[in-house]
Amino acid sequence: MEHSRVPVGGTSAEAARGLRGQSPGTLRRRDSVWHRVRANRWSYAYIGPFLALVTIFTIYPIFASLGYTLYQWNGVGNPTQYVGLENFQRVVHDTIFWEAFGHTLVYTVVLVPIQLLLALALAMVLNDRSLRFSTFYRAVYFIPAVTSAAIIGVVFQLMLSNFGDAMGQLLIGLRLVRHQIDWLGDPQAVLWIVIAIGIWNTLGYNLVYFLAGLQTIPGELYEAARIDGAGAVGRFRHVTIPGLREVGVIILFLAILGSLQVFDLVQVLTGGGPYYASEVVNTYIYHQAFGAGGFAGGGGAAAQPNVGFASAASFFYGLLLLGITAAQALTWGWLRRRRSGQAR
Amino acid sequence: MSAIARAARPPAWLLRVPPGVRLRRLVTHAALLAVGLLWVYPFLWALGSSLKSQAGFIDEGLSVIPRELDWLNYVNAWEGASFGTYFVNTVTITVSVVVLTLLLTSMAGYALARTSFPGKRVLLGVIVVTFFLPRGYTIVPVYDVVQHLGLLNTLWSVVLVQVASGMVFNTFLFMGYFTTVAKEVEEAARVDGAGFNQTFWYVMLPLARPMLATLGLFTFINSWNDFLTPLVFTLGQPQLRTLAVGLYAFISQTSTNWTALCAGSIISLAPIVLVFVVAQRHIVAAIAGAVKG
Repeated sequence: MEHSRVPVGGTSAEAARGLRGQSPGTLRRRDSVWHRVRANRWSYAYIGPFLALVTIFTIYPIFASLGYTLYQWNGVGNPTQYVGLENFQRVVHDTIFWEAFGHTLVYTVVLVPIQLLLALALAMVLNDRSLRFSTFYRAVYFIPAVTSAAIIGVVFQLMLSNFGDAMGQLLIGLRLVRHQIDWLGDPQAVLWIVIAIGIWNTLGYNLVYFLAGLQTIPGELYEAARIDGAGAVGRFRHVTIPGLREVGVIILFLAILGSLQVFDLVQVLTGGGPYYASEVVNTYIYHQAFGAGGFAGGGGAAAQPNVGFASAASFFYGLLLLGITAAQALTWGWLRRRRSGQAR
Repeated sequence: MSAIARAARPPAWLLRVPPGVRLRRLVTHAALLAVGLLWVYPFLWALGSSLKSQAGFIDEGLSVIPRELDWLNYVNAWEGASFGTYFVNTVTITVSVVVLTLLLTSMAGYALARTSFPGKRVLLGVIVVTFFLPRGYTIVPVYDVVQHLGLLNTLWSVVLVQVASGMVFNTFLFMGYFTTVAKEVEEAARVDGAGFNQTFWYVMLPLARPMLATLGLFTFINSWNDFLTPLVFTLGQPQLRTLAVGLYAFISQTSTNWTALCAGSIISLAPIVLVFVVAQRHIVAAIAGAVKG
């Protein structure tokens, strides 16, 4: 019974569509829409859970959090204390927010180029077809990327807090540093150590991206360049770089966006401390929203949770990110136009 | 004489390589291995330390290989520090999230790809727009919703929120995949008398096996490693913690039991590394596809 009904519905829908094409009367049209709805009832059933989850957990929260920005609210009960745009004013004038924003920018500006250069160099070494065990090396360098931030946080905290002195001695012995380092406890050093761990943590993704990009460059191009007398540097400049341009733009874009939204790693390593020295925007917002109540609040926790303020900060940061993304897109568009202008 | 000389010659594949290149290759391997060892050193150290005694942990410092094996750390972590509970919680959440995500997103992706029902364009438009809207701090309203649904203090809260977070992206991927399947396949099924449901379950879904595998793997890794969602939804319920949250809580509670902490780290890490090693080719191909596409 079941199988015979659906195809019949399908054909009646086709018939209805055909009819509508011939005589688009309003009455018949409404009728045909109803027919099509009925004929596609299984489609609605299949989309139902998707639609419900997206509406409840994605679309509604976007608008709800926009509403919260207008209230002074600690997250308990319903927001009642309406403050208008005051939360936004406070965000814009909050020095700790801008400090966190500065840390996020430093994190991004330092991490992205170093990580991408290292990943590219490694990808070029591993891309050599005659290199044996290439997949093994790839796996080794990728493992930190599939590791949860919590594990990374725990392992590094354990290593640095128990044996940081020994490692500091080692670095002093190698004349890489002059004084003993307090690692994650040193406000001067902490951001740089978080950046170094960040480079290590997600390099694997960019390695795989670059490997994929390198594999799209035909080997004949390198052969041709070699015959034309190009050395290794010349081949890199005139074959590899142009061949990676398309993929490279996407990799850069993803790396920048990912770094600007860093949260897990900083939260588990330092909680934003000591004294806000490693506070990035997303840990700042988390601390504003949940206060110091949660365990291991870290250095940068607000005493009282203020969800309205956190929502405003998050929304404001969302706008900043949108602006940064748009600026990136415009820059690339401009560069491309200029390049094609030169080519002519 | 000549026979001996022939026998002593290196194998053919080695001969084709000139000695200069061979040396360079050796240096490459040595460098890759040395840096690679340093690269995974933190994990090797954690593995080694998870088997050291409490005293050995301090004495042996940064060495990877423990002088004496002490398995008790795993017992302490599993029972004393509740990592057994955390492990069961994490497996429950991750398996539920993978199954539900694959089920719901493949169904929605199929309907979106293969039928044109009234309202489809509006639906797709709204979803694309929400993708680009700047977000406020949505975890708070999500918390509110979960509270109103009466799901606070259950593992379901974490499952639902994680499933919902992967909805749009995975549905779009399934939609793209089902669009590429030839129309004739579906028509043949219909001629054979299969209805909408049979066509999906017996024809289209089996065809999507590679997609199911890829997205299943990624959903698994993301769910297992997720930190913020289980952190927020288990803040007051230690018995509901996942491994990631439990580990994070453990380090702020214990100031001395470092070897058990290392054991806890390894308990959290081992399954994901196992999955990665088994499915490496699949995972890497899928990640590479993301930028090539």
